[in-house]
Amino acid sequence: MRLAGAGRRARRLAMLFALLPFVALSATGAAGPYDIMLHPTAAAPAAEGHARLVFAPSPFGVALTADGHAVYDVQITAAHLPKPSTLGAFTTYVAWAVSPDLTKWHRLGPVTNGTTTVGHADLNKFLLVISAEPDTSGAATRGPTVLHGTSPSGWLQSFITHPLFRGVSQ
Amino acid sequence: MRASCAALLAALLVVTHPACAQQPGTRPTPPATPPATPPATPSGMQGMPGMDHDMHDSTMAMPIPMPKGMPMMPGLVGLGPDVTPFLPGAGVDAARLPEARPSELAKLRDGDTLDLTATLVRRSINGHTFTMYGFNGQVPGPLIDVPQNATVTVRFHNAIDLPSSVHWHGVRLDNRYDGVPDVTQRAVAPGSTFVYHVHFPDAGIYWYHPHVREDIQQAMGLYGNVRVDSPDRDYYSPVNLEQTLLLNDLLVHADTLIPFGKEGPDFALMGRLGNVLLVNGEPRYALSVPRGAVVRFFVTNVSSSRTWNLSFSGAPMKVVASDVSRFEHEERVPSVLIAPAERYVVETRFDTPGRYALVNAVQAVNHYKGEFEAELDTLGIVTVSDTPAVPDYAGAFATLRHNAAVSHDIDRFRPYFDKPPDKRLTLTVRVSALPLATVQFMTIDTAYFAPVEYVDAMPDMNWLSSSKQVRWILRDDATGRENMDIDWHVAQGSVVKLRIFNDPKSFHPMQHPIHLHGQRMLVIARDGVPTRNLVWKDTALIPVGSTVDLLIDASNPGAWMLHCHIAEHLGSGMMTVLHVDPPGGAPAHSPGSAR
Repeated sequence: MRLAGAGRRARRLAMLFALLPFVALSATGAAGPYDIMLHPTAAAPAAEGHARLVFAPSPFGVALTADGHAVYDVQITAAHLPKPSTLGAFTTYVAWAVSPDLTKWHRLGPVTNGTTTVGHADLNKFLLVISAEPDTSGAATRGPTVLHGTSPSGWLQSFITHPLFRGVSQ
Repeated sequence: MRASCAALLAALLVVTHPACAQQPGTRPTPPATPPATPPATPSGMQGMPGMDHDMHDSTMAMPIPMPKGMPMMPGLVGLGPDVTPFLPGAGVDAARLPEARPSELAKLRDGDTLDLTATLVRRSINGHTFTMYGFNGQVPGPLIDVPQNATVTVRFHNAIDLPSSVHWHGVRLDNRYDGVPDVTQRAVAPGSTFVYHVHFPDAGIYWYHPHVREDIQQAMGLYGNVRVDSPDRDYYSPVNLEQTLLLNDLLVHADTLIPFGKEGPDFALMGRLGNVLLVNGEPRYALSVPRGAVVRFFVTNVSSSRTWNLSFSGAPMKVVASDVSRFEHEERVPSVLIAPAERYVVETRFDTPGRYALVNAVQAVNHYKGEFEAELDTLGIVTVSDTPAVPDYAGAFATLRHNAAVSHDIDRFRPYFDKPPDKRLTLTVRVSALPLATVQFMTIDTAYFAPVEYVDAMPDMNWLSSSKQVRWILRDDATGRENMDIDWHVAQGSVVKLRIFNDPKSFHPMQHPIHLHGQRMLVIARDGVPTRNLVWKDTALIPVGSTVDLLIDASNPGAWMLHCHIAEHLGSGMMTVLHVDPPGGAPAHSPGSAR
């Protein structure tokens, strides 16, 4: 009985620690130029998650492609993802970096509850999408999206119509 | 959405602050609250005879070059930075000055002496003639080539119109000769001489430059390389050719240099990013090599603020060394990312006849449109002939070497990697009395800031910010002290773990290349991720929002500057001193006199 109580406390503590990053992100809005808050969809309304962009290993400290795109490893922390099979004929969750116009889907890798580091993202702006999939090898998504977010660069605002520039023609 | 709302709310609060309560379209006026204190810096400028002449205007009412498609904000039109304009050689007829020569080799042996004179020179760039500076009439200055462990004497003569000095960047030398006014010496007044005795303990590529108003003197041509040769003939792989590439940029409007600030730097927010990119002082680099040639490039970024991303049209490239040593492992790289003051040694093989463009390729943030835009500058051309290179070093080039000596040297520092930080710094900024339009725009726009900004997308706002309004800050987390008020002492022989956090929530977050004088350091982790391929550095790029752990080999006694190497940030206060105390206390010497 005491063991069971200790187990519950441990589970509560584990849950508390798992939620700490969400609390921190919620308190600060967006934590910085590397943090992505992931939002659940109707397919998995209890799911939670966030991601952090970490520069891919590089001798220069900051990883760039030859044409200057920043290259990031994407660290995804997810919680309360249901078993994929509960959503249909799916076995896994996969993370995708998607261009804002939804035309380019770059598979980053499989995701589970907990923290997973998936593959490189090198788009200037992108959506981070986690979907249920039948396997981890598909070139395009085939299942429902469960979590999604926007790269911090997506917060860039257009000022063309701002009063600061009003009346100015290019 | 939450971030945007917070930014808008912050904007409303900020514009009601007395320091910001100015009308658009007016020149910045004295603030209702005290302005950012001009840095108590070892500038060596005030009252020096070289500062007596200027253009005698109180404003710089000239247009600033704007990026294509980016209008100047109406609220800023007609304004100028709140500094007196300054350009080298005011009143001097450029036609009477000697035309600058390219860098010449100065091969020195242990015990040799070199006379190094900073002078006015005439430069012809893209058909325009400018009065600039050079060492010994050369831009870049002489390529000083010395054997490892040599000690040479350099008699520095200041023949320019500003106080000056020579800092031997990256060299673990005797503190007396580090070239920092008011810390290790007095500034060398125009017409005066200072004698440096410089010992070179480490092989590699180093550089020298003034440590007085770098924003002017470096930008105008006072820089040069030192190549320190290892006695080990196998130190690098065999190559067909070696080249030094010094990267700089120049800000020009029509046929005129954009003036500098006399009292302190303008472009204080982002640093001065030029619109004419220079390799070895010239806008068009050219090299001819035989087919299959392997070329070792020693690359040094001497520009005030620009971070470059270089490549040779897809030619295979490997990086072998950086500031103060070789890497543990050579690596293939698609390009070379290099921040101000850094050096990288890269080897490239040109295996196909034809032309390879040397390019700088970055993704620029267009803050007006809220978009990224690819920016590509061709810096030069490498022409590859049909004649095969002899010898053929293809085999050596294909091999990625493990430098066991580097790993072995680092081994004794590995036990310190996981210790708690000994020191912590936060990088931030404080501003006052900026134009209202600038404050409004930046407050909203900083909902996102790129980890590294490669171009100046807002030169109008940047130009109008001077060191009177902008104070860049190194803040000691333990004491709250800032910049030169930080009083850090460590024992000689200690291994110091310094954690630096670049606060992304400051008014204008920006990357900072942090340079430590006279010591060597390892970047052991970035954002908690251990570095997998180590190299000794003297300068480390700290992107916005990043936390970087440095491990300092505090082996060289003295008072050593730690500062941002963006010249305008340095000139806006972003510096401190790390005292490395020998057994028995601090060294007895005081700043020496110019002779």
